[in-house]
Amino acid sequence: MSAAEKMSRRDEMETLLPFYLNGSLEGSELEAVEEWLATDPAALAALGEAEAEFSGASAANEAIRPPADALSRFARALDAEAGPARAQAGSSWLAQAWSRFMAVPVGVAWAAAAVLLALIAVQSLVQPGGKGKDFEIAGAEDDLTKMPFALVRFKPDAKMSDIAVFLDANKLKIIGGPTADGIFRLGIPAANAADYTKQLGLIAAQPFADTVIEGRKPADGG
Amino acid sequence: MTAATETDRALVDRVAKGDRAAVRLLFMRHHARVYRFVARQTGSEMMADDIANEVFLELWRQAPGFEGRSEVSTWLLGIARFKALSLLRKKKEDWIDDEAAAAVPDSADTPEVVTMKEDKAAALRRFIDALPEEHRAVIDLAYYHGQSVTEIGEVLNIPVATVKTRMFYSRKKLGEALKAAGYDRGWP
Repeated sequence: MSAAEKMSRRDEMETLLPFYLNGSLEGSELEAVEEWLATDPAALAALGEAEAEFSGASAANEAIRPPADALSRFARALDAEAGPARAQAGSSWLAQAWSRFMAVPVGVAWAAAAVLLALIAVQSLVQPGGKGKDFEIAGAEDDLTKMPFALVRFKPDAKMSDIAVFLDANKLKIIGGPTADGIFRLGIPAANAADYTKQLGLIAAQPFADTVIEGRKPADGG
Repeated sequence: MTAATETDRALVDRVAKGDRAAVRLLFMRHHARVYRFVARQTGSEMMADDIANEVFLELWRQAPGFEGRSEVSTWLLGIARFKALSLLRKKKEDWIDDEAAAAVPDSADTPEVVTMKEDKAAALRRFIDALPEEHRAVIDLAYYHGQSVTEIGEVLNIPVATVKTRMFYSRKKLGEALKAAGYDRGWP
């Protein structure tokens, strides 16, 4: 082996030593360094020098002290962040509905979008700040909060497009929910109790309806 | 893959689902190293403070897109590097120049004179600090951050061969500086 080749190998080994020390070297390069350390008398001294550099670099970095209040300031900045649209934990009904919505035909997409917007608004209200409440109201309008309603749970395999078309055709609105067990409050634009009962029957007859519970009836009580 | 790495990734998964507590845990785990990395890169702790915060806000925003191709620490350092370079390009304020200038050793003392006042470890640390930023970053990433050649390439966005070249010249410069200061270590 010529002097030039020896120097080249030494240079290569010196280049790899920091990675040998930090434990990230592997494969043929690790074997080469280990073989060098085992056979070249100069290698152990070189390793000692690299260890000194290791200590020097660590000391130079550790001398920099982050501000003590960094976490509290970051926490405030984080609280101000809305964050991107995120997948809900697990496979929630809304997440499944959204997935199905993405595949609905264009012709019904607008209706589904209207419902989804309502659902997303509702969903946003029942996220962390709304835990523990039975219902959250999608809008502040009095006509929504006072209107007759029913409690409805949809089947897990319900298609968003089917629900959207049905709600739109019957002027029904989702005005609250879902609760933890997936129940929505559905506004019923019924003028009287008889009409209310009729509409409840219609909802219950839909293939996507799982549970329909009577809520507030119109003023005449029925 | 270590258990700690898996935990980092598990935390990023939680962040991706909107878990703010998880991002705070990652902040506590990695903030100091990110802060130091940026401070060493920019020479400004003020900038390091701003950028390190931004890195973790970026983690919050980008977590859903994290594919786990690299370690979380490498990912964070890569974001930090990008943000620091972007900010350095935008800001050419005098105070940055002042801080950088302040970091340069006083030319009234020759290296030999300065070194006589120090022991070898202190001299070595000073020589590391005086390396050009692109060389010092490779030294810091390998020795302090424990990054592999490939990971350093990812953080600095340079080829693996360039990482090795920079490491070679960084160590060579350190050897030459030590030799000039009377500490001959036999290489280069």
